Amino acid sequence: MLKYLIRRVLQMIPVFLGVTMLLFVLRAPGVLPGDPVRMITGERAISDTLRAQIVEEYGLDRSLPEQYAIYLGNLMKGDLGQSFQKSRPVVDILADKFPNTVRLALAAIVIEIIMGITAGIISAVKQYSLADVLTTLSTSILVAIPVFWLGMMLQLLFGILLKRWTGGAFYLPISGMESYQFPAWAHMILPAITLASVSTAYVARIMRSQMLEALGQDYIRTAEAKGLSRRAVIWRHAMKNAMIPVVTFIGIDLGVMMAGAILTETIFNWPGVGLEIFHAIGQRDWPVLMGGVIFIVFAVMIVNLLVDLSYAVLDPRIRYGGAAE
Amino acid sequence: MSTLLEVRNLKTHFHTRDGVVKAVDGVNFSLEAGQTLAVVGESGSGKSVTALSIMRLIPESTGVIGADSDILFKGESILSMDDVSMRSIRGDRIAMIFQDPMTSLNPVYRVGRQVGESLVLHKGLKKKEADERAVELLDMVGIPHARERARDYPHQFSGGMRQRAMIAMALACDPDILIADEPTTALDVTIQAQILELMIALQERTGTAIIMITHDLGVVADMANDVMVMYAGKQVEYGTAEDVFYRPLHPYTWGLLESLPRHDVSDKGVLVPITGQPPSLINVPDGCAFHPRCPYAKEICHTTVPSLESIEDGHSSACLFSQDPSFRRDEVSPSGEVA
Repeated sequence: MLKYLIRRVLQMIPVFLGVTMLLFVLRAPGVLPGDPVRMITGERAISDTLRAQIVEEYGLDRSLPEQYAIYLGNLMKGDLGQSFQKSRPVVDILADKFPNTVRLALAAIVIEIIMGITAGIISAVKQYSLADVLTTLSTSILVAIPVFWLGMMLQLLFGILLKRWTGGAFYLPISGMESYQFPAWAHMILPAITLASVSTAYVARIMRSQMLEALGQDYIRTAEAKGLSRRAVIWRHAMKNAMIPVVTFIGIDLGVMMAGAILTETIFNWPGVGLEIFHAIGQRDWPVLMGGVIFIVFAVMIVNLLVDLSYAVLDPRIRYGGAAE
Repeated sequence: MSTLLEVRNLKTHFHTRDGVVKAVDGVNFSLEAGQTLAVVGESGSGKSVTALSIMRLIPESTGVIGADSDILFKGESILSMDDVSMRSIRGDRIAMIFQDPMTSLNPVYRVGRQVGESLVLHKGLKKKEADERAVELLDMVGIPHARERARDYPHQFSGGMRQRAMIAMALACDPDILIADEPTTALDVTIQAQILELMIALQERTGTAIIMITHDLGVVADMANDVMVMYAGKQVEYGTAEDVFYRPLHPYTWGLLESLPRHDVSDKGVLVPITGQPPSLINVPDGCAFHPRCPYAKEICHTTVPSLESIEDGHSSACLFSQDPSFRRDEVSPSGEVA
């Protein structure tokens, strides 16, 4: 088990190096347009001394491999550099935004778990019923709807068309901004629904197919032959088997959401990591972009590891690092 | 001896897109306490469906049991029971073990927990008490180090051990009837013998009546009191084991016996297969369902459906010629060795 863990952590190193190196190459002069000094100073005219000073300060005169080595060195110390635009350490910026992203991600995951799993179970247990048909239909539609479009439509519906019924004032719980009329959690509802939409549909579909598969297994017949009720057969014997792939999907999804949902956060102006990365791209704020991407890579890798480890808990047939016996 | 189970004119049909599958079509038998009935036939002859009908585990969406059919357990009709009463019988008074032990245990629960589950359900035991009892049961079916093995998961058990665990599970509530649906088919030969010996030993100890479903006559030679031979959803022969093995009446039974490997004759003896395939249960042949494969079939067999007629005391056959004393194959003998 420990051996497996160490091996998995070591595997993260090449992934990590690959991602950072790619970003550094994109930054090399001539690959993407733009003068780094200009990105830092903006449109103001600057003197040659100031320019030289900035080049010196940010180490822009050094060769790219050298800059990369320095960056990695700082990273080991937990320093992701200074934002060009905000003159603040990138680590501080991300630490500021991260709690908002976590809050939104957790809300979305809760929706995903409750709605997705319930719909999946109902449509499997009542296969070909009206509920099943509606679930299949609605999940197909949800999967096909782009997140940004869904977000904007929800804003249009609740913020403008239904304005009279949803509060009357301009500030509606459609953005991350605090308002006078709604408690803080209410602002999470629409972004969370938007963020959860596609995944909820996938969870419902995976749950349905897994549940159907589990219900067709021989051990279900054994459980029925014991005299267990249909309910006990479904919840005790089919559920745990059917949940294994669903947990995987939800786990990985949580990792992705933790890293910041760029589309959803941008549309709802949600002050999370995703929105920060979006702004950093627009402003060519390389240190923030680099830091954000490194953060995403970390979050996804760690959650993937946790998901893999959770298999061993759910499925006794899987034991890492050595045979079962 | 009292009659435990009586099956009257059991008809279980499945309504499929291709037509009505007459999986079981008019089966009658009864089972006395402590007795063993072997149900023998090829795949698709209706053996398993008969068993599942008794357990009332036929899928309700497609399977229909005939209105004039009845199954009486201790004189009470199982088919007219509500679901709750049926569940209190299922697993408690009538238990069942299945063909493939590799897939019949739930992979995500410990074996001991699965064995004890019906005790919690039917006998009101606490989980801990059921776990204790499960260890005793696993020990009874010959699992070594039962206490430790009860904490294992099914994938840590071999096929033979899993079937032992299935037997322990089925016998947990000390049922009146154990239905064993081809319990040894998925196991290799040495393990088959062990499992059969175990079942015989346990039956002597617990007095459970057994319905043994198999396609292998050799399996039942030692343990059955009565044998019922099925073909295309119908009974073709019914009698004591001795009658059916040593004085078989129906040509299909002859065929089954002749296709068994025998170790009392020379190695050069040739196995005689039954030619052809079992019929489609949607389009059962007119007349005797076995006539297309029967080497003795006459014109009349193509048109007249034979009914199960008592030929000798307690020995019946569904062949139009069974009444004829000259229509016998006395040289047919089973391979079943007496241990």
